[in-house]
Amino acid sequence: MTFLSSVFGGPWCIAVYTYREGIRRKLLIGFLILSLFVIFGSSFISSFLDPSAETDIDLKLIKDICVTAIAIFGALITVYISASVVPAEMETKVIYTVLSKPVRRVQYLLGKFQGIQLIILVNLLLMGGLFFIALYMRQGIMPTLLLWSIFLTYFEFLIISAFTFAVSCAATSPLVPTLGGLFIYITANLTEYLKDVEHRAGQTGQFFDNLIGKIASALYSILPNLQNFSIKMQIVNGQPNDPPTDVLIPWLVLYSLVYALAGFSCAYLVFRRKEV
Amino acid sequence: MTTVIRTTALNKIYEGAFRGQDVHALKDLDLDIRQGEIFGYLGPNGSGKTTTIKMLLGLLFPTSGKIEILGSESIDSATVKRNIGYLPEGAYYPDFLRGEEILAYYGKLYGLRGKELKKRVDETIELVGMQHARKRLLRGYSKGMRQRIGLAQALISDPKILILDEPTTGLDPIARKEIRDLLLQLREQGITLLISSHELLEVEMISDRVAILFEGVLQKIGSMAELLTQRELSMTVDHLSESSVSDLTDKGIQVEDRTGNRAVLRLPFHMSSYDGVEMCKAHSLNLLSISPRRETLEELFVRIVSTASKAREVVQ
Ligand SMILES: Nc1ncnc2c1ncn2[C@@H]1O[C@H](COP(=O)(O)OP(=O)(O)OP(=O)(O)O)[C@@H](O)[C@H]1O
Ligand SMILES: [Mg+2]
Repeated sequence: MTFLSSVFGGPWCIAVYTYREGIRRKLLIGFLILSLFVIFGSSFISSFLDPSAETDIDLKLIKDICVTAIAIFGALITVYISASVVPAEMETKVIYTVLSKPVRRVQYLLGKFQGIQLIILVNLLLMGGLFFIALYMRQGIMPTLLLWSIFLTYFEFLIISAFTFAVSCAATSPLVPTLGGLFIYITANLTEYLKDVEHRAGQTGQFFDNLIGKIASALYSILPNLQNFSIKMQIVNGQPNDPPTDVLIPWLVLYSLVYALAGFSCAYLVFRRKEV
Repeated sequence: MTTVIRTTALNKIYEGAFRGQDVHALKDLDLDIRQGEIFGYLGPNGSGKTTTIKMLLGLLFPTSGKIEILGSESIDSATVKRNIGYLPEGAYYPDFLRGEEILAYYGKLYGLRGKELKKRVDETIELVGMQHARKRLLRGYSKGMRQRIGLAQALISDPKILILDEPTTGLDPIARKEIRDLLLQLREQGITLLISSHELLEVEMISDRVAILFEGVLQKIGSMAELLTQRELSMTVDHLSESSVSDLTDKGIQVEDRTGNRAVLRLPFHMSSYDGVEMCKAHSLNLLSISPRRETLEELFVRIVSTASKAREVVQ
């Protein structure tokens, strides 16, 4: 018990601190307000119009917009906050006062990472919650499928967050990790395309052709496939209370946790002996 | 006396991006800081003070050499760190929190909880004189108030050692005096203080021992009494006439601070106090006071730094 409280007791207050500090960031609040605006705008405004004129296509469009907005703004928030928490603390030198206390570096990272997850979760729940209410009011059916989607989206963000966090621990400013995080988010959503490139490469036998094939194949084998976490098509086309099909949820959770652990371990490896 | 901080042949090289850009910030530093003293750590800008302090706290890692704190070489262990309080140079404190919330946060990092935490927060807030602003957001604090909160977070665990990097920089004279008095009070309680500073007058007033660093090399270390040697005598006299001034100057006596026919005479080394009295008789001066003059810390500092930089020029 004392061991547990010494390992997690320290990080938990760091996590709460990180949450309280991060949730006040202007850019983050900006992203959140923008996303809520998009969700609110697309789903509520049209309900003031003539309801008889509404078609099935409209509803599909609204669902598509909202799910996409949650995915994109959520990813932006995830990348931004994961990239900036540690570098910002180094810039302001607050880190000196923390690491000079009896806090091990792994505890520090754990606390920061937990705080980041809290921020991501709260934002995701706010965005998802608004859309949930909107859908429920519109269709009168509990959109349980949306809850599964939010759940899976969080595990997608966990992967992005862990890798961005690892890059941020090696960096001195948030710029590089932000770019790195966006790169990971974009390419990991395009892994099907990478596989395609890999198949088509090597036809001409030229150097660059081969090289591109090799890079695509390397990226394909390292990067997680984030498309796995998306059930947007089912939400758009199916009934709101359908159970999620075509996805193995426990497997995806495990998949995400393994990647997150790998990312966090990288963060620890670079931060363990980092001079601050 | 027991040594609480000891460094042996400590070296720090900051590696540059390219060859030849390395900075050798500390060279074979041997320091010993003894229990219960105020240790003044001096040196011009960029001489390596902050580098040394950060290595003591495990924020930087030595290139070579040894650090021992409270008899232990594992300076990263919780037992050692629990006994050290640290005020960094020019640090920022989270300004979305209230004074007392910040202290509670740092207290938790030291492992304090519940009643004990509350008690320590109350005690340190009182110690640094911040009761009136404890519930206010840090955003509205002045520089001096921030520095007091910084000091309070360093004291929250009731440490045995306090390491302060430029604690009074940017503070007004009253605040400086208050902080100085606080530091003396802490020494009375048996805390060992390592203070890096550019305020030589302050350091001279409160330090027991000082070290002077120049470009990463320790130039001098010792107690105030050892380092600030007695120098020439100085006499305050009255009834000084113009003719005797030129006469005295010829004898190598410096006439300073003249106001009317009163002045301070600084005697050369070879003149004793008897010689001085004789001389006053001879020139019918009215002798008001006679006292030995000690070198000030500032004079010592300037002398050591300029000798060291001249020596470096010769080498180059
Ligand atoms: N992170 C770093 N990378 C490279 N060089 C550094 C780094 N930090 C400090 N230095 C160099 O090391 C030397 C010592 O710096 P340090 O900050 O320890 O000086 P200081 O005595 O604290 O100076 P000041 O009185 O200005 O605070 C300087 O030459 C500085 O340029
Ligand atoms: Mg410094």
